[in-house]
Amino acid sequence: MKKILMLPIALLGLLLATAPLHAAGLSADEIVAKANQASYYAGADGKADVTMTIKAADGGTRERQFTILRLNDGAEDQKFYVYFQAPADVRKMAFLVWKNADRDDDRWLWLPALNLVKRIAPGDKRTSFVGSDFFYEDVSGRGLDEDAHSLVEETADTYLVRNEPKDPGSVEFAHYLVWIDKTDFLPRKAEYYNKQGDLYRRVEALRVESVDGHPTVMESQASDLKAGTSTINSFSNVSYDIGLNKRIFSERFLRRPPREVSQ
Amino acid sequence: MKLRLTDVSLRFPRSVLLLVALLTLLFAWQFPKVKFDNDPENMLSAKEPVRVFHHEVKEKYALYDFVVVGIVNEADPEGIFNPATLTRIDHLTRELLSLRLGENGLPEVSDFNSGEPSSGGYRSIDLNPARSWQQALNVAFNHQPNKLFDEQGQSVIIGRELIAPSVVDNIKQADLGSLKLEYLMEQAPTTREEAMVIRDDAMSNPLYAGTLVSEDEKAICLYIPIIKKTYSHNVANLVRNLTGDWPETDKVYITGLPVAEDTFGIEMLVQMATSAPLAGLAIFILLLLFFRNLSLIIAPMIVAIVSVICTMGLLIGLGYDVHIMSSMIAIFLMPIAVADSVHILSEFYDTYPRFQDKRETIRYVIGHLFRPMLYTSLTTMAGFASLATTPIPPVQVFGLHVAFGVGLAWMLSMTLIPAYIMLLVPQKQLQKITPKDAKEIPAGGLLNRIVENLGSFSTRRWRPILLLASALVAIAVFGISRIQVNDNPVKWFSPKHEIRVADRVLNSHFGGTYTAYLTLAETQPGICDCEANSNAMHVEVEKRFAEKYPEAVATFQEKLAELKKRYGQISGPDVSRAFVELVELAETLDNKTTALWWELADEINYLDPAGLNARTLHERIAPLEEIPREYKRILHDAVAPLNDLQGEDLLEAALEITDLYTADSFVDFVYEMQAELTAPLFKKPKILAYLEQLQAHLVENPVVGKTSSAVDSLKKAAYELNYLEPPGGLSQSEQAAYRQRNQSFNAIPETAAAVAQVFVQLEGMKKKDSLFHLITRNYQEANVWVQLTSGDNQDMAAVVKDMQVYMQENPPPTPMKIEWAGLTYLNVVWQDKMVKGMMTSLGSSFVVVLVMMMMLFRSVLFGILAMIPLSITITLSYGIIGLVGKEYDMPVAVLSALTLGLSVDFAIHFLERAREIQLKTGNWLETAKQMFKEPAMAISRNAIIIAIGFTPLLLAPLVPYQTVGFFLATIMGVSWLATLFILPALLTPLQNIAFRKPEDEA
Repeated sequence: MKKILMLPIALLGLLLATAPLHAAGLSADEIVAKANQASYYAGADGKADVTMTIKAADGGTRERQFTILRLNDGAEDQKFYVYFQAPADVRKMAFLVWKNADRDDDRWLWLPALNLVKRIAPGDKRTSFVGSDFFYEDVSGRGLDEDAHSLVEETADTYLVRNEPKDPGSVEFAHYLVWIDKTDFLPRKAEYYNKQGDLYRRVEALRVESVDGHPTVMESQASDLKAGTSTINSFSNVSYDIGLNKRIFSERFLRRPPREVSQ
Repeated sequence: MKLRLTDVSLRFPRSVLLLVALLTLLFAWQFPKVKFDNDPENMLSAKEPVRVFHHEVKEKYALYDFVVVGIVNEADPEGIFNPATLTRIDHLTRELLSLRLGENGLPEVSDFNSGEPSSGGYRSIDLNPARSWQQALNVAFNHQPNKLFDEQGQSVIIGRELIAPSVVDNIKQADLGSLKLEYLMEQAPTTREEAMVIRDDAMSNPLYAGTLVSEDEKAICLYIPIIKKTYSHNVANLVRNLTGDWPETDKVYITGLPVAEDTFGIEMLVQMATSAPLAGLAIFILLLLFFRNLSLIIAPMIVAIVSVICTMGLLIGLGYDVHIMSSMIAIFLMPIAVADSVHILSEFYDTYPRFQDKRETIRYVIGHLFRPMLYTSLTTMAGFASLATTPIPPVQVFGLHVAFGVGLAWMLSMTLIPAYIMLLVPQKQLQKITPKDAKEIPAGGLLNRIVENLGSFSTRRWRPILLLASALVAIAVFGISRIQVNDNPVKWFSPKHEIRVADRVLNSHFGGTYTAYLTLAETQPGICDCEANSNAMHVEVEKRFAEKYPEAVATFQEKLAELKKRYGQISGPDVSRAFVELVELAETLDNKTTALWWELADEINYLDPAGLNARTLHERIAPLEEIPREYKRILHDAVAPLNDLQGEDLLEAALEITDLYTADSFVDFVYEMQAELTAPLFKKPKILAYLEQLQAHLVENPVVGKTSSAVDSLKKAAYELNYLEPPGGLSQSEQAAYRQRNQSFNAIPETAAAVAQVFVQLEGMKKKDSLFHLITRNYQEANVWVQLTSGDNQDMAAVVKDMQVYMQENPPPTPMKIEWAGLTYLNVVWQDKMVKGMMTSLGSSFVVVLVMMMMLFRSVLFGILAMIPLSITITLSYGIIGLVGKEYDMPVAVLSALTLGLSVDFAIHFLERAREIQLKTGNWLETAKQMFKEPAMAISRNAIIIAIGFTPLLLAPLVPYQTVGFFLATIMGVSWLATLFILPALLTPLQNIAFRKPEDEA
């Protein structure tokens, strides 16, 4: 089984889409592949500032700000650098992820207050990203061949694709539905159903804008419908093709953050 | 006037019977509306502050009521950690998680028996009992065993909060010094080795050892959270069903207060349906033995049944739930209702031969029983109505309804019994009753003789009797002083009940199945001590920078002083604004000092390590015009001796040098200070350390088996994050050094920022938000999960008290308030109210009854005399409770009302009749002799019927029912003795005062 991608940042920010015009008669697999490209591979690299607002069931919120750098490394591999700006107590904390197409992802963590770099072993990617309602998998993408895709409905502007896991024991959902925009191929909404047949989770693109010619999700939301919690990611200062140095994505730059994030 | 009611009944017996039948029907009509409430929590009003707080805590920390399922394996050498048992536990967990409502309306769970576990197959299960008797009971009490779903058809088990090895987080070391975040038992083990790994992981996690797994490695506990306590009995049944095919060696025990409470509620209904009728049957048989006349003795049974039906009908009709208390109405009402009619019957039976006429006999009997019966009923009503003064809603409802039932029973005795006898007792049968001196009834005859002999004994030997009575009272008072006020809903089950057994077994293996929550919060949250913060920064900035940058430090301190003046004591947003200004200032200060070092470091950081050595490094840096030559020279001088370093290593070395200078960043300093000074309470290391000590103190208490807090999670995570695997081939002492180093990180990190960064890792564990059961999301408040091995209120109360003392003696660094929640604690609160409420109500009803007695007898002396048997009865009953070590719990407390109401009855009858007879005889000894004929017989029959009639209760599996049975026998026995021995014994020396001519008293 091809292990999936890892870290953060999401469906959201760094998405690309080379707006292909209505491609009639696409298969479900083709649609999903295009959506994957649009969502996770825009440009050669990208950068965004993210404000993450985690909302508890009682309405209380916690906010985190971080900067994400992403570099495409070959056809499928990618590298991510996530650098926390606020709140003050996690300032300079950083994650590094190498998303590998052919093996488990590599993942490192830098905790400045502990002066500690720790490697994180591969694990379940459908777990919370820094305590939010987003999963690591939402941030970096889910392997296309992990699910069987079928086109449920095609309207004037949307494809509705149903996805069923090939290994149901490996995930918490029984299936999920994705609404994909036909013009930019960016998913607008994904809804997850559990094995009891209930809708329990939703991920949405709340605002999409074109940045440097790439349709980009500027605001996204993930909701845990059972627990009543939700998280909104707002993206700003999004830029593509900024010429990131590959060396940034290394342990050395965890300890001493690159100027791309620290300035 | 005394006979008016009875005369009407005698004249229109048919109408009376019809009226009663209609009335009964009307009340019985209400029955289908019945709602049951099994929740002892409702002993407290819903608005009771502690209950409100309990629910706030549950909400705030997302805590739920748990069904605790313990699995114990003592047979396997590895205990519970063998592959087969762990696989069963894994399956059980997944079955519970998969619970859903099937299309046929029955529950469905994942099917592991056929095909692959992950095949997604479901199987249907039916929890309805196989026995038709139980099915009928379930229908009667509207209990649906398959109801495991809410109105929307969602499972009542909150899957995401289930605590089981397959779904709890585990942090552990993995390959290449990496850290693995996964579930404790991702997959059921297939080999012993895999099982051992799970054991080691579990045992090394302070949150799990003693909670999820027992420290003796023999047991595992699942904690199944449910949306409402009232589903816990059904969930327990589900677990029993799912584990039904497990082998003998894997024993399954189910406990926890919610299960105990809910199961008690359900079994109590069963008792209501069995014990009360059984007691009725026993009374019926005794009546038959005494009176040998079936048609006659049906009358008291009808009175009892009609009173119970009407009272329950009233309760249901008024919209009250049938609660644990009100389920006992039948049991309490029956003896009281029977008592009045037995007095009538007894007299009727004894005097009928004299009159040989039903109407005349009834008029005679009621004629002299009217007053004592009215008064005994009024006093009993007073006793129960006084419960309305307790602060416990179900007890109020109970007291008032029983009072209603007692009044009704009196009414029925006055009307229904005469009407019944007139209409339905054939004259012929009564002819069989012969004058009592014929001694035709062995039981009655024997009793007659005993009672008569008693009479002469108690008048002749009054001195020793009074002496003995005083001695007994003295002993009883000593017994009362030893009464232990205590309660524990689990102990409402008899010791062999499966819940009691589970409670014992699991509490011997684990840190405790009883849960209490200790919450800590700042007394005055949100108050920022800006002055202290400012001073702290003033000192710290000087310490760090004064030597190198005295001018910058001066500027910074000026700014601090200015901000302090401007913002003063104001808190909240102003604090952030102040810090923004400080950061801006720090940036300009850095520009003059460390910023250029930053730039140099940054340039080095981006260098391609390929081909890099000390010389090429220098060559590449030299062209950077914006970097001062002096900086380049410092770097060059430092790097030059490292000429054996190349590439990455050299880069690192160079960066370590620049680090020395970039460390002097004012910006970093300000952020650092912000993190430390504005940290929420429970990110501050010294507060966390206080919490740690507080927990250490808590577990010193022998009933506290275990405590868990965010500190435990924090330390475990800090340890695993910092852990270094010792390389192979080390000597013992080197390995020990590694261990010691690693162990030193099993501690609270030293700064608030470090604490925060470890907490962030815990927030992102696989099981999302589990940290927030122990700490609020803003880290301002914390919750300690306290596990107790005993649910006794006394034990919980002792822990609460101990904590108060501890907090006083060891005040926290920041003023904090602690508050308790959790079911175990709630029980303490309502029990406390109950005990105090019962004392007050007993006291007040004692006074009321005393006044009533004085009015009845129009004599202070007789009023006091009437109170003597009841005082002695209460004293002796509670004395016995104290002496045998039975605890004063809810049922015992409620019984005090019954004691008062019942035990005064005999005295009233005795004194009233004694005065009546004395008027005729004018001679006390002659009076006494007559007293020990019919009057004493009526009292004795009553005592025996009630005492023995309720012995079936002793067989009930629920302790409160046993207590009632025991108590009724004791009350009857003692008040019977007190009335027949002590009253005559007292009246003998007092006869001259007591029996003055009535004119004298008026």
